[in-house]
Formats: sequence, structure tokens, C-alpha cells
Amino acid sequence: MLTIAIAKGRMQNEALRLLAGAGVSVSDEALRSRRLAVEDESGAYRFVFVKPADVPVYVEHGIADCGIVGRDVLLESEADLLQPLDLGIAACRIVVAARDGVKLKEMAALRVATKYPRVAEMHFGSLGIPVEIIELSGSVELAPVLDLADCIVDLVETGRTLAENGLSVVEVITDSTGRFVVNRASYQLKSEPVAELVDALAKVVNESGRKDD
Amino acid sequence: MSEPLSKIPGGMRYYFGAEARLRRSVEDTAMSVFDGWSYEEVTTPTVDYYALFERGMGHAEAHRSFRLTDTDGRLLALRPDVTSSAARAAATLFAERARPLRLCYAANVFRQQPRSHAEWRRESTQLGCELIGAGTASADMEVLIIAAEILQKLELSDFCITLSSVEIFNGVVAGLSLDEPGRAEMQRLIDIKDAAELQKFLAPHAPPHEIEAFARLTRLSGKRRTIEEAREVITNARSVAALDALENLWRVIESLNLTDFFEIDLGDVSGLDYYTGLIFKIYLAGAGGRVGRGGRYDQLTASFGRAEPATGFVLDLDAITEVLARNGSNLAQVSDSSVTVLSPANDENALFLQAKELRARGEKVKVISDE
Repeated sequence: MLTIAIAKGRMQNEALRLLAGAGVSVSDEALRSRRLAVEDESGAYRFVFVKPADVPVYVEHGIADCGIVGRDVLLESEADLLQPLDLGIAACRIVVAARDGVKLKEMAALRVATKYPRVAEMHFGSLGIPVEIIELSGSVELAPVLDLADCIVDLVETGRTLAENGLSVVEVITDSTGRFVVNRASYQLKSEPVAELVDALAKVVNESGRKDD
Repeated sequence: MSEPLSKIPGGMRYYFGAEARLRRSVEDTAMSVFDGWSYEEVTTPTVDYYALFERGMGHAEAHRSFRLTDTDGRLLALRPDVTSSAARAAATLFAERARPLRLCYAANVFRQQPRSHAEWRRESTQLGCELIGAGTASADMEVLIIAAEILQKLELSDFCITLSSVEIFNGVVAGLSLDEPGRAEMQRLIDIKDAAELQKFLAPHAPPHEIEAFARLTRLSGKRRTIEEAREVITNARSVAALDALENLWRVIESLNLTDFFEIDLGDVSGLDYYTGLIFKIYLAGAGGRVGRGGRYDQLTASFGRAEPATGFVLDLDAITEVLARNGSNLAQVSDSSVTVLSPANDENALFLQAKELRARGEKVKVISDE
């Protein structure tokens, strides 16, 4: 049996839709239940629904063989995982944003509020800009408004929350989409079922990509 | 506020009871297999000059060692590996000895690790062997068989040793106009098997049909057919020579009926700066990461003044013990039934005389003292 860890929230429904397209579906009844671990209809797969940041943890430890999670989470986690497939779902960007009109150039030390301390540190490090990282766990947009920080590094889907708080994008650090990740040992020891699932998912992704064009 | 004395540094731990016994018996099993193949045990210094490891493992790996300074100001390190030290001994202490040299060890190594990683052990024990002074395919085969024998002796059957050669990647990359960072990025993308990103990355560097071929590299793993598939997409002489060598090795594995335990994984591109030919990784069901790795490192001993071919591997004692313990291995069962309990007597001399006699017959005793 393959265990698949799925990031709860934003990505969950699209991930399940792709998996259903690949022939792996969970009954509505199982989904409606509050159980965090459910089996698919064939009994060949088990799903565990966990917080996005925990997906790399479950997969790296081999408790889950594979997982579906955003690239933003992978960049932040440092986990050593295989990433054979870009699923193209839940597309968004990690950006630097600041209050409209604020110039970030040539500040002696930039105060950056973020849920992505590692990404922020690497980004400003590569630019040679000294930063003070202020790690928050939510409502990051509030930080520049209340002058806790000069700017934020955050995930942006439509940009509406930014605009409503008087913030605008200064620069895009990177794009992020949902990725299919695999544990290194599972990739070798369960090579057949893993390869089958990767191939089936790749087919679904290619087809839906073509439809979008 | 001072740290409480009860606290144990992260990544360090105790072993006791059944787990300690199991560890001991895993170590004994491995050492007896090494001995069975005429490998000589060597114990290397626990503390050595940092420069040794920097030369032996490369900067990126060595900088994770715990470092301290000697009384003369020179930089020392708690050994992060044993191979560096074994290679130095081969070139110096054992310079006059007949080749090949066969060395083995069970030794703890110390590495700083980022906390986020699954295997967050900063002290771990390596069971390893080095075959130095033999550059033949049969030397490669010898260490592979030894690794498989140890795992089989431990009654583990669901393991997989994946084979590749760094020369396959080196041959491919030599034909591309890539600078060093570009090479590293290509290596990273193959390592995480991200075929789509790899294709995007290579677009300016190679014609489309070749890119398609390289992207397939990331997915090429399996049995013998993998080599045939690789031949269809890789045609440069250097890579082809490496594929020939792998195929020869696979033939031997087939003739030994060991194919269940081996796979070819051409997407394995780790340790390119260190290894020079065959590389292999060892995976075990129940362990999230790899439990061992090895390969050919023909450049290492040259660092110590004597260039000669060498090959070897290490197994991670802690990871293997953990799997055995979880599987309920009976490798190290002890029974308390045969213990003779000696109660306190007025005459201590008589008590210990009896204990001594029992011990002389090899029996287990336990002296109960009451306060």
C-alpha cells in the first residue's frame, strides 16, 4: 500500500481531483468524515491529510511514501525529497511586498515580516541586503501597516489582500505550484506502484494543461 | 537562566537495554562478515586535524564537523568520517604492505546537521570497509557482495542496493557548455528527479532531442533493461564505457542470483566530487532514508602522496538497528532464566567464593545486596 500525504486547505480539492483522474479516488463519505487517514476505494492507497508544512516531514521520514504540497513549502522546509512532478495546481507567487510608495533601496537593515524566514533570508542574502527577519504565523500583511516591518515576504494568489491593505508587490521571488514529492527509499523499494502513480498523474497533468491552452 | 543539567544536546542520545544489545549484535555480525572476507579491523583517531577531513571529504561535507582548536592553534575536528583517515594510513603507515589492503571498522562519527532533517543524529556509528589498491571490476563486486551478505546475515530481506556510475553523468555533462554552477544545478535537478525543470534548464544548452534524452535519465531505474534503455539515449564514449562496466557488474549479479537485491538507478548523481566510478546506495524497508552508501574513490589517496584505486562502503548501524528493533528482531535475545541469584550472607567470603566458582563455569550470577 502507498501512503500519500496531502496538504490540507487550498490545494486539497485540486489534488484529489488530479488523483481521481489518475484512477485513485476516495469516496465522498470518507472525505466527509473527520478521519485524518482514509483509504481509497481500491484499498491500494491510503491518504493522510496534514498541514502543508508537515507534508515534507511525513514524506522525508518515510511515514508517507509520497505527498502533494506547494513548492513554497518545499523551499522553506529543506527536506531531502524527490520531486518528480509539477502538478501545476494552486499556482501562486512568493513576493516581496511593501506599502505603496515605500522605497526599499539602501536601507541599512530591512525589517522583513514573513511566514517564510528561510526563503526571505536566502533572497535578501543573494542581493547582499542585511535583513532582520520577523517570523509571523499569520496575517503577515498587517506588519507593514502597523510598522512592525518595512516589507513582507508572502505567498500571493490574486493580490487582493495586499491591495486591500495598501500594499503592492515590489518583486516576485519565485513562482509556486503544487508538487508531487516522493520519499527516497520508497522510490526504490516500492518502485513499481510509485512509477505507475507518477506516470498516471503526469498524463492527467498534460491533458489538463492542453485543455487550458 | 542556566541550562538544566538534565538536558541532552540535540541529535545525541543514550542506548540501553534490548536496543544496546541489538546494536552490539549488529556490529558483531558486520565485523564477522568483514573478517570472513579477510578485512582487518582498524581504529582511527577520534580527533584529527580538520585539514585531513577537508581534503578527504571535500569542503562541503567536512565543514559540518564539530571543530575545536589544538593547543598550538591548529584546527581539529571530531571525525566526521573514517575513510579519510583510512586512506591516509594506506598511503603512509601501510605504504610498504602488499596490495590490495583490506580494512574495516565500526566507529562513531560526528556531524553537525540542520535540525529539520529526518535523520537528526549528530553522532552515528558507521560499519564500513575499504578495499585499497585494487581497481578492478571484481574489487567493486567484492564490496557489493559483502554489503549484501551483512544485510542477509541480519535476516533482512527487503533491502535494495542501487547502482550507478558517476562517469555516466560526467560524460553527458562534458558535452554541454555548462559552467560550474550550471553543472551543480543540473546535478541537483537530476538528484530530485525533476524532469520538467531539467528540460527547462537545459533548453539553452542542448538540442531538443538530447534534452528529452537527458530528462529520461532522471527516471531510468530498474533491472538490466535500464542499461539497454540508457544506451538508446546516451552515446558519448565516456558514458558508454561506464554503462559497459555496469552491465558487466550486472552479469555477475545475475550469475550469483542476487538480482532481487540490486537495482540500476542512473538518476543517482550524488557525491560527484568524491567518487570516480561505481556508486551505490543501500535502502531498507522501514527506514525513511538510505542506510548505507559506497563506491569507487580513486583520487583520494593521491591527496596523501600515493595515488591508488580504492573502493568501499559504510552502513549506518543506528538506522539498521532501528529497523530491526521495530521488526521485533530476535537477533539479541537474552534470557534471565539461567541466572543464579546469590543472596547476601553473613560470610561475604563464602558468597564471593560461590560466585567465583559459578563464573569459572561460565554461569551468569547476580548478587543481591541489601542495605
